[in-house]
Amino acid sequence: MLTYLLKRLASTIPVLVAVSIFVFGFVHALPGDPARLVAGPDAGPQDIAAVRAEMGLDLPLWEQYGLWLNNAVHLRFGKSIRTQEPVSTVVAQRFMPTLWLTLVSLAWSMTAGIALGVLSGVRRGKWEDQASMVAAISGVSMPSFWLGLLLISLFSVRLGWFPTGGYDSWRSFVMPAFVLGLGVAAVMARFTRSAFIEVSAEDYVRTARMKGAPERRVIWHHTLRNALIPVITLTGLQFGFLLGGSIVVETVFAWPGLGRLLVDSVSLRDYPVIQAEIMLFSTEFVLINLVVDLLYAAVNPEIRLR
Amino acid sequence: MSASLVDSQASESIRSPLAEFWRRFRHKYVALGAGCLLLALLVAALAAPLIAPYGPATPDYDAVLEGPSWVHWCGTDAFGRDVFSRIIWGGRISLTIGFLSVALGGAVGMLIGLIGGFVGGWIDGLLMRVMDVLLAFPGIVAAIAVVAILGPGIDNVIYAIAVFSVPVFARLARGTTMVLKQTVYVQAARSIGVRPILLMLRHILPGTMPSAIVYASLRLGSSILTAASLSFIGLGARPPSPEWGAMLADGRDYLGVADHITLFPGIAIFITVLAFNLLGDGLRDALDQKLR
Amino acid sequence: MLKWTLPLAALLATAGLAPAQAAGNVTMAFDNNVLGLNPANLNDNLSMSASRTIMQGLFGFDKDMKLHPLLAESYEANDNATVFTIHLRKGITFSDGTPFNAAAVKTSFDFMRDPANHLKRLSLYAPIDKIETPDDSTVKITLKQPFGPFIANLAHIAFAVMSPKAIAEYGKDLDRHAVGTGPFMLDSWQTDTLKVVKNPHYWQPGLPKVDSLTIKSVPEDGTRISMLQAGEAQFIFPVPPGMAQSLEHNAKFDLIHKPSIYARYVAMNVLKKPFDDVRVREALNYAVNKDALLKVVFNGYGQKLDSALPSGLAGYSSQGGAWPYDPAKAKKLLAEAGYPNGFSTVLWGNSASLTRKAMVFLQQQLGAVGVKVEVEPLEAGVMISRIYGVQKPEEAQTQLYYGGWSASTGDADWELRPLLSKMGFPPTLYNTGYYSNPKVDADVQGALETADAAKRAAFYKDAQAQIWKDAPWIFLVSENILYARVKNLSGIDVMPDGQTLTLDAAFTK
Repeated sequence: MLTYLLKRLASTIPVLVAVSIFVFGFVHALPGDPARLVAGPDAGPQDIAAVRAEMGLDLPLWEQYGLWLNNAVHLRFGKSIRTQEPVSTVVAQRFMPTLWLTLVSLAWSMTAGIALGVLSGVRRGKWEDQASMVAAISGVSMPSFWLGLLLISLFSVRLGWFPTGGYDSWRSFVMPAFVLGLGVAAVMARFTRSAFIEVSAEDYVRTARMKGAPERRVIWHHTLRNALIPVITLTGLQFGFLLGGSIVVETVFAWPGLGRLLVDSVSLRDYPVIQAEIMLFSTEFVLINLVVDLLYAAVNPEIRLR
Repeated sequence: MSASLVDSQASESIRSPLAEFWRRFRHKYVALGAGCLLLALLVAALAAPLIAPYGPATPDYDAVLEGPSWVHWCGTDAFGRDVFSRIIWGGRISLTIGFLSVALGGAVGMLIGLIGGFVGGWIDGLLMRVMDVLLAFPGIVAAIAVVAILGPGIDNVIYAIAVFSVPVFARLARGTTMVLKQTVYVQAARSIGVRPILLMLRHILPGTMPSAIVYASLRLGSSILTAASLSFIGLGARPPSPEWGAMLADGRDYLGVADHITLFPGIAIFITVLAFNLLGDGLRDALDQKLR
Repeated sequence: MLKWTLPLAALLATAGLAPAQAAGNVTMAFDNNVLGLNPANLNDNLSMSASRTIMQGLFGFDKDMKLHPLLAESYEANDNATVFTIHLRKGITFSDGTPFNAAAVKTSFDFMRDPANHLKRLSLYAPIDKIETPDDSTVKITLKQPFGPFIANLAHIAFAVMSPKAIAEYGKDLDRHAVGTGPFMLDSWQTDTLKVVKNPHYWQPGLPKVDSLTIKSVPEDGTRISMLQAGEAQFIFPVPPGMAQSLEHNAKFDLIHKPSIYARYVAMNVLKKPFDDVRVREALNYAVNKDALLKVVFNGYGQKLDSALPSGLAGYSSQGGAWPYDPAKAKKLLAEAGYPNGFSTVLWGNSASLTRKAMVFLQQQLGAVGVKVEVEPLEAGVMISRIYGVQKPEEAQTQLYYGGWSASTGDADWELRPLLSKMGFPPTLYNTGYYSNPKVDADVQGALETADAAKRAAFYKDAQAQIWKDAPWIFLVSENILYARVKNLSGIDVMPDGQTLTLDAAFTK
């Protein structure tokens, strides 16, 4: 197991290096001189030259990459061009709101999604199955910015139940977490349903049923437990996606998270922040995948041996 | 009685895959309904010039922001353009974005998956690492980058969304390819010297299709939604295009004042995406070997 | 700092419905984020507004952008506008207790104009040659060359005076630690929320009347309006014109609209065919119905431009009414110029929703006289590279460019020079249509070289007449500033250039 762990850990390094080159190339391929953007619409040439020097953009590209990589390895990410703050502070401040929103969204949507999926699976082909699936899918079929604005006008303005947004109290989590979780709930419900039906057809479930085990026990003990194993992968994947922060939900609900930061940074070509943020996403993603793989390997020794 | 008799007889004879699929699919009423709805939408989009009572870009400054009436079924927008006509014309654009982006992303992804799965070794390793990088890269940022570099417009929106779809298609195709590669008929074909390219195209590609079709139908809906998100951040179709997401995004400037401008394109998107998803679920049930 | 424990604490708390409105706190919602507080390092309206709560300059603007002395009492200038002697108000201290005097002004200005500090407003400081302090309350500023609008420049927030103690202590981090003589002091600033609290030592008696201000970034227009309606914010800016109606005639809110100093125009690249022909440029001006533009895009909140300058800008002179709408004449002029069937062209603009709408409108109008326009909204960075990546004017790909400008100094110079003179050609400044007329250039230069208000006005009058004749732009409109407050709040206002003043903020009853 330890060798497997080390092997998997080592294999993430080339991916991260590739991502770093990709990110650096991507950032510098974006059209638009960041010095000009940062200096603003009524800056003169001296102002722009000052900003360019301040940003280190007067160096050759490979030198900039070398500097950046060296600093990044030492966890130094420089200063934001946009706000002059250290990038680590900027990203850290935005990370917590996104993490909490992700956790809350994931919690409700997994619960609801798995419940709907099981209901569907148990009552396969019946009206409950169809109704749950239509309900789950409806949630993911609405453009989220539109849904968000409709919710605000109903629950904040008309009824006054929840604030329009902001990262303040538990009330402010309700609407953004709901909108963000809808997509996850739909995927979870579908996936659980398939997994559930698949496992139901397995011999050990049939055997249990034939042996006269009570239906409830068949569902909970034999079927669901096994059906949930592949759901782990999916959860990991969704967690990774959500941690990237949602540009749309964060914008609509004025949520101070990473998604909004990324859009703002891209539009002002805040190179250090964009680079740090995308590296953070990629690292998160790779690490989550690693954890999922390890969980799998723990469950299924066959994978380790390959 | 007689029906079950016919049925059991039929199940004994060998049916073509298509007939087999249809036998299982025709009882999925929800999916069937969704399919019919999509067909109707497609026809409406194709016949837009015949159906739409007004031009999609014809302004009427004397009739701006009018609510639904007999003259304008879905009301008019800020320029006095007929919202109903714009939705009909916009169907062309939104459906085109959906189909083309999925076709493009699917084709590239499946090619990569086929090659990776079939060839194996370091090529496979390299391709899959590239897919990992792409998957780890936040999709919407990739889309922003594509649109920022290539400029706004529907064609670039299609490329941007296609990029999203590549990694999953590649993984799906690779997984199936690796299984099929070991099957008796492929081994047999290989042993009698069938060229690898032919082997891939003739014997393995068809096997990867069912899962690809299912994923594609689900992906179609999310492509339309992604296009709407791009419009939301101002990087979508170029104005005055009546792409549904753009209508919704532009219309939100009048929320609380003229809600019908957003309501109708919102409903159009909702129904279409829902239909694609329900169709996809039905297809999955009918095509997936394991769920039989 | 918002802490790790937040959701737990929040769950435990038995929170009331809307967040309780602390007595005397005003929550203000804006569309952008505050980016910094060092006034000499800012170029966006919101950051400048935020820094105005903390910082003050020798001169200031009132809510209608009329210039008045603030930390200065009076000034004298020599005839050719090179030496300005400014007398300071006495007995003022910075909020950190440091006394405000001539030495503090010199320290602050010298720091802000030092190229080694790489501050973004260096160009505003560029005319200064040296700063002397004849006595404790007098500052003598000598310029490198005559610069007439210098006092207007001094009212720009970039010339706000920073506490010398803060400069010594924080140096390059002033953006996060600004200390000035203003009515408020920085309290906290996390992600998208900035809070300032009352400065107990503020020098104007009785002010400020509220305890604190909270500035929140709420980018989505609909959400911002909802915040006001739900009682979460007491002031919002901007109110998009399309949604203004939902706040109009409402007993709970004041919707305030007033003329801005924004000019909306389409610059035509006069170096390129067919826009090198003045008849074509006139034709396009005749082709656009500005009343309909105001109605459709700005929902009636604005005025037609009747000169290159908006009427609120110092130096404006009317050209006798807006350009008339006459599509028949437009067609005739196009035919005379050799385009009886019109032509095809591309219109660039940013990707903001109002710009997109205006561009679609222009496409419709120009289409009606046979000019087929392709609308291309550009992402900010792409726009910059297309316009400022150009090194030689002849190489520019620009054809039509939809722009908007507000002169942050409130003076004609900062519109005519960057947008309509040879000095303004990209990549230096913003003359995206590459218009230049020796007469206009001479006027702009002439007005720079005198501080005499009457002489400067005459130069600008002449320049505007010439520009109107040459029609390098499609002269469109000047939209209104639109903001909203709850009824019992007064004293927070937006100036015509889009910056917010908060000094007089007060709740009635």
